[in-house]
Amino acid sequence: MTALGGIRNRGLKGRPMAKLLVVDDDRNQGQLYKIDLEDDGHEVTLAASGPEGLESLKKSRPDLIVLDISMPGMDGIETLGKILAQDRTLPVILNTAYSNYKNNFMTWSADGYVVKSGDTTELKNKIREVLKARGIVS
Amino acid sequence: MANQLLKDTLTIVLSGGQGERLYPLTKDRAKPAVPFGGMYRIIDFTLSNCLNSECMNVYILTQYKSFSLDRHIILGWSGLFNNPEMNQFIHILPPQQRTGTSWYLGTADAIYQNIYNLEREKPKRVLILAGDHIYKMNYAKMIEYHVERNADLTIACVNVHKSEANQLGIAVVNDENRIVGFQEKPKRDPATIPGQPDQCFASMGIYVFSTEELVRRISYDARQESAHDFGKNVIPAMVNDGARVFAYPFKDENKKEVAYWRDVGTMDAYFDANMDLTRITPLFNLYDDSWPVRTYRENYPPAKFVFSEQGPEGQVRRGQALDSVISPGVIVSGGTVIRSVLSPQVRVNSYSTVEDCILMEGVSIGRRARVRRCIMDKGAQIPEGMTIGFDANEDRKRFAVSAGGVVIVPKDVCL
Repeated sequence: MTALGGIRNRGLKGRPMAKLLVVDDDRNQGQLYKIDLEDDGHEVTLAASGPEGLESLKKSRPDLIVLDISMPGMDGIETLGKILAQDRTLPVILNTAYSNYKNNFMTWSADGYVVKSGDTTELKNKIREVLKARGIVS
Repeated sequence: MANQLLKDTLTIVLSGGQGERLYPLTKDRAKPAVPFGGMYRIIDFTLSNCLNSECMNVYILTQYKSFSLDRHIILGWSGLFNNPEMNQFIHILPPQQRTGTSWYLGTADAIYQNIYNLEREKPKRVLILAGDHIYKMNYAKMIEYHVERNADLTIACVNVHKSEANQLGIAVVNDENRIVGFQEKPKRDPATIPGQPDQCFASMGIYVFSTEELVRRISYDARQESAHDFGKNVIPAMVNDGARVFAYPFKDENKKEVAYWRDVGTMDAYFDANMDLTRITPLFNLYDDSWPVRTYRENYPPAKFVFSEQGPEGQVRRGQALDSVISPGVIVSGGTVIRSVLSPQVRVNSYSTVEDCILMEGVSIGRRARVRRCIMDKGAQIPEGMTIGFDANEDRKRFAVSAGGVVIVPKDVCL
């Protein structure tokens, strides 16, 4: 059994388990996502900026990326382009406090668009839905 | 009304194809930049259609060997389109690599890589054209047709006899011209147009998309294993999903009995389309003031024909051109030109004969040379007394020869 398999086995019964990369410039919020998503059985890596996220991709390929849009410097839309330039098949969910980016054509390449709210239920559901649609979990 | 429809439409001309089958004419230039008809480049026909249709918001997507194409557009077309006050423009866009590290992978990928520009312009619809076909068409009529039908996608289709269907992409339509299927180069029993049992609708690669539908479809396709091609991937998926896809019957502005649309994708097709222009009544009319074909032209002196000595044929110097298309700056000095298309600054010297040839800019035919059924690229210098086009075996030793036996003399060649 590999280390990865070991981690995957830690998940709760019937829940999806995957390696996630969460890119968000708000470190506290990132930590909250980490706790919540690990609670859901996922393995979570955090990155606090677009370049940091891209750097992380070079080291290991996650099953899915949760990407904030409004970040200082390289924003999530530019980061999305660069992620797809590296690997077009990598699933990405945009997770933002703003709904108006939905009209931006560049965001339509993402697998999902979640507007941040007090709890992470919608994000968790969207992650499950995308992992399932992509055949990463059954 | 029509004017507003056009203002809300962005035109994208795909000009990045390699044109491999036209090699060596495409050795140093993209296919849309290949000279045609003496004075023109192939892309001039599409851009003239844009101008005559008043489609004034144009992007040209280029990639390989784009220098001479860029130069031609900047010198010849920028002034006709660019008008910032009216938001009219012609912009050349090489691959931006915002969403990929590759050049354009296919026609759909070419648009996908420029999604940023669609976002900037936010047009209601996008007219997608190929920069390498010869035809006359009013795109405004097609755009109206698209809007009237509330279509997601409208594809211009040309009528072809069913015997030609095996070379083309054939649209299967119902009696309202809605496309319900596609046949790619069908070997037998191609789908015919309802009510026209011997005619098929062949796709011309001209599309009007509603922008949101376009972006949604290409964004999805970009994430799939795919050739990222409209004809192979995106459009069949749309038809399968029940999207509103319509065929627009090509209305030719050429005003001839048979609709004229040529891909000029092969050397022989290119040769024939040029030779057509030398006929008394060509299929393709360059002389119709109501649908002018424009180009970039340098300032040349008038064409000139000199020596008219009297005496028996072959023994006296006569400079003449018969059944031919001759550009400014040409000097026919004591030689004979028959059924040929000559670009500017060609020189034909004494006692030489040129028959059934395309001579591009700056070609020189030496004294007593005899050339027949040749395409001579720019600057080729044919030495005194040389013969080309009379001995197929000899020609093959020195030059590329098309399937139809046309000899291609490459650019700036020294013989």
